[in-house]
Amino acid sequence: MRRIFTIGGNEAECWLTHDGSCFVLNTPDGAVPCRLDPTGAPGGYRLRVRGLVRDIRLAVGHEATFVHMNGRAFEVGRVDPVERLAARAGAAGEDRLLAPMPGVVVSVAVKPGDAVTEGQPLLVIESMKLETTLTAPRDGVIAEMPFAVGDSFGLKAVLAQLAPQEE
Amino acid sequence: MSINKLLVANRGEIAARVVRTARAIGIRTAVLRHPAEIEAPAHLIADEVVMIEGVTPVAAYLDIPQIVAAAKKIGADAVHPGYGFLSENAGFVAALEEAGVTFVGPTSEVIDLMGDKVRARAFVEARGFPVAPSAIEDDDPTTFVERARTLGYPLLIKPSAGGGGKGMRIVREDSTLKAEIETARREGQRYFGDGRLFVERFIERPRHIEVQVMGDGQGNVVHFWERECSIQRRFQKIIEETPSPALSPEQRQDICKTAAGIARAVNYRGAGTVEFIYAPDGAFYFLEMNTRLQVEHPVTEMVTGFDLVAEQLRIAAGEPLGLQQDDIGQTGHSIELRICAEDAAADFRPAIGDILLLDEPQGEGIRVDSGILDGGKVTADFDPMLSKLIVHGADRAQAIARAREAVQNYVILGVTTNTGYLDAILAHPDFASGEVSTGFLAEQADVLTAPGEDVSGLLMAAAALSDERLVAEVMQIPEMHRRMGGWRN
Repeated sequence: MRRIFTIGGNEAECWLTHDGSCFVLNTPDGAVPCRLDPTGAPGGYRLRVRGLVRDIRLAVGHEATFVHMNGRAFEVGRVDPVERLAARAGAAGEDRLLAPMPGVVVSVAVKPGDAVTEGQPLLVIESMKLETTLTAPRDGVIAEMPFAVGDSFGLKAVLAQLAPQEE
Repeated sequence: MSINKLLVANRGEIAARVVRTARAIGIRTAVLRHPAEIEAPAHLIADEVVMIEGVTPVAAYLDIPQIVAAAKKIGADAVHPGYGFLSENAGFVAALEEAGVTFVGPTSEVIDLMGDKVRARAFVEARGFPVAPSAIEDDDPTTFVERARTLGYPLLIKPSAGGGGKGMRIVREDSTLKAEIETARREGQRYFGDGRLFVERFIERPRHIEVQVMGDGQGNVVHFWERECSIQRRFQKIIEETPSPALSPEQRQDICKTAAGIARAVNYRGAGTVEFIYAPDGAFYFLEMNTRLQVEHPVTEMVTGFDLVAEQLRIAAGEPLGLQQDDIGQTGHSIELRICAEDAAADFRPAIGDILLLDEPQGEGIRVDSGILDGGKVTADFDPMLSKLIVHGADRAQAIARAREAVQNYVILGVTTNTGYLDAILAHPDFASGEVSTGFLAEQADVLTAPGEDVSGLLMAAAALSDERLVAEVMQIPEMHRRMGGWRN
């Protein structure tokens, strides 16, 4: 069975199989036997991959699996292949200005219908006690400015939407 | 008077920390909770939880009439403000006074004086204590830019009413001075409702050293030694320690006596901290005085053996200090790490998420002041600090080793935290040798956030094998092939 994971921003693809005696993880680098056994501690497992043995703590979230290993916490994003195909067919990324971090809107410089040029300031946000000016990713026309001054938003919220580019 | 019931007008780890001490000395406790807040440790250990309302949770914690009314309603005879929120709000102190409720902290006059950075500097300077060369806008607004220029670059612009690094700008070139002044003014206006500024000469490669003081408002003041807080990101501390590795015994006496002298000059009551900028040549300058308990107070408790909250409550009840300077020693070394929900590799972007698994370290010389519970949630409503890990060791090397082991064993899964980043700081040779300044994290950003050993193969195996649906699907296949016979991988 195929799975796509994201680790540290990079996508990695693998297949999990079972050869009748143990699981085998198949990656572009080759096939390795692996197993995962609970240790009894909450979320505690002993992970064996080829000759390596690691005692890890693990928690499965909605979109990612979280692993504490070697004294560090790692996030392994699970990519749904179906959703990813849908996203590719959808709106081009540069039509939307996504929040680089959660914050509050300090000021809004444009309104729907305004023509903007690449680099033009669209709004000022405040996160972590600092102001950041967000600018138009390309030339175009503002379709939507979903947040007003004083509104708070989460990470990756759409802060500005440009009308689709006409070919 | 005596305090029978204490309302803690704060949240997170500090609310729990104050409640713990109050309970231990026989004071009944109440804490606040906004409906949007997930259950936290303080809610479980306080005798009472008072619900508060507000458009945002932060607004509720800043709502003076509502909190004073809550204190009255539950019959609290004292309020502990923690840090942040209303802890340095003179209006809050006055409102409590009017309601006949004791504020655990200094007088509103002292809060007012020290809250105004410009007045505080002038006060301190006039009494012969050292301050950095500066230009104050209010002295003559028309010549402000000119006077700033003559101090010589680099300059540091600060809001007069500021604190916590908000609105501060470093200016290295004359061409950007005016623009930076306007930005700082806007930020000051927005955060503090006050656009007045002052500029001081920015000390290159400074260290941040502060001194814990305590007074009883009856003329008695002692210090509890210094804390070094040079490990900062965005002007905010994330690792603090005591003693400072930078100070000689003579310098330590000098800076601590200066701090106590400043506190004595205002006849200080309660716990406070005098912050200094410490220059590479050994000179130090008054920065500001925080008229409250600091986030990093536990390192002081670890080396002195005193419970600072217990002392605060005793003084608030009207007791004299009852301590001589010689009563306060220092044993060993202590380090505090602030565990924050943030992505250090993405410019410290705050992270949110569900806490799917929490296992906090414990053991000899380890203290965790935590504001989170397993199964909880981290939202964008509050500051990203989740908890504090404090360690004690016989010496600095042992404290660092303990801190590293403890932070590596601090399991928080489900939300991105800075535990790995904190460990990378502790592992840095310049941290080990104590050769740091407040610019350390920015200078070493690439080293500190460098990806470690590639463990993606292990992680993929863990993620795949813990995916129950995937495992179930895979197990169907050998079964099928076995039935078909002769299947080989």
